[in-house]
Amino acid sequence: MDLAAATILGKLIGAGLAMIGAIGAGAGIGIVTSGAVQAMGRNPDAAGNIQTNMILGIAFAEAVAIYCLVVALLILFVF
Amino acid sequence: MSEQKPKTRTWARWVVLAAILLGAFLFTGFFGIGLNIKPIMPEVFLPGEALSNTPIFGIEGFFITNTFWGMVGADLVVFLLAFGVYRGVKSGKMVLTGISGAVEALLEALQNMTEGTAGKWTKIIFPWFATITLLVLAANWLGLLPGVETIGLLHEGHGEYAVREMNFLGMEFSTIWDDSAEMAADAHGEEAVHAGEEEYHGAAIVPFFRPVSTDLNFTFALALVAVVMVQVIGFRALGWGYLTKFWNTKHFFDKPIFGFIDFGVGLLELVSEISKILSFAFRLFGNLFAGAVLIFVMGSLVPFFVPAMFYMLELFVGMIQAIVFGMLTMTFMAQATQSHGDHDEAHA
Repeated sequence: MDLAAATILGKLIGAGLAMIGAIGAGAGIGIVTSGAVQAMGRNPDAAGNIQTNMILGIAFAEAVAIYCLVVALLILFVF
Repeated sequence: MSEQKPKTRTWARWVVLAAILLGAFLFTGFFGIGLNIKPIMPEVFLPGEALSNTPIFGIEGFFITNTFWGMVGADLVVFLLAFGVYRGVKSGKMVLTGISGAVEALLEALQNMTEGTAGKWTKIIFPWFATITLLVLAANWLGLLPGVETIGLLHEGHGEYAVREMNFLGMEFSTIWDDSAEMAADAHGEEAVHAGEEEYHGAAIVPFFRPVSTDLNFTFALALVAVVMVQVIGFRALGWGYLTKFWNTKHFFDKPIFGFIDFGVGLLELVSEISKILSFAFRLFGNLFAGAVLIFVMGSLVPFFVPAMFYMLELFVGMIQAIVFGMLTMTFMAQATQSHGDHDEAHA
């Protein structure tokens, strides 16, 4: 295998491995949403407030997945 | 009867609109097939691409990029919205209609959100929230217009597709197209001839417009503005006492252990302020850039109908990210205005 092919192979494998971190974010977003939906079911009057905080929580959880995504994109398109 | 008539008319309007869309959809699809244009995966560039080779102001490495024009487009949209709403308000009507009514509804929702979180600081914090949300929303949604990221200059020398001259209704233009099958057939026959030649280079399109959120410079600048203004508003609300949030020696001597822990937490707050910048910048950039790549890939795999679904997803993502960017700024600002004793923890 020549160097160019090995580089491409390494890039693709690396990008794939980088996205493993999205597992945690996916689980986190699921937990956040499940909690928010349960809270809304118990107290529908507070739905607006809960929704705001839910989106905030999702944004924090998602940030980790986005770091992984940015790393994967950097590996694929920059290096 | 007079109630019924406008209803049927609006219904008919949607049907006609759908028919026009379907017709355009089928026409462009068959147009592409008729011209033998195969769907291709465009070249993806992470930084904004320079549109010319002459640096502006003579500064080395300082080019006008396509994301810059995306920024100008987003600014124009926000300015036009502002003027439209100004005219609507000046007209003296109590109930705004049309675009200004829609903007009023959006801003009212944002203001209610701010009031719930920031309390008496709403007047200072709300403009930042609304400005960031409107600008990012305009920037994100501009990227979904047809022609953005597809019409541009042809750059030869990099990329893997061939150039093809075309003539349509008197307009001459070039396009890149996939000739890999023919190249493969060529190479098969004349492998010996090609072996000694230099590597094959094709062309890539550098679009005139690219949504500005796919440029890390923009998201980083916006994140810096947001986080710096969080500090400014914190100082404004608490004076120099704001610094005790980071350098907390209040209980350092009278409560030895917990005082020390408080001091450490204060230093961690300082780190979290810096990580806020990174997290703001990468969240917006990552979402929007990944969205653009997603649409590229889906368009190259299934050129019919499926990309429309992903455009719908991107419409949603663009709105959510705009609101999240603004809302996080607002929440951090509201936290900065609260004194150390009663602020609740949130880490980016």
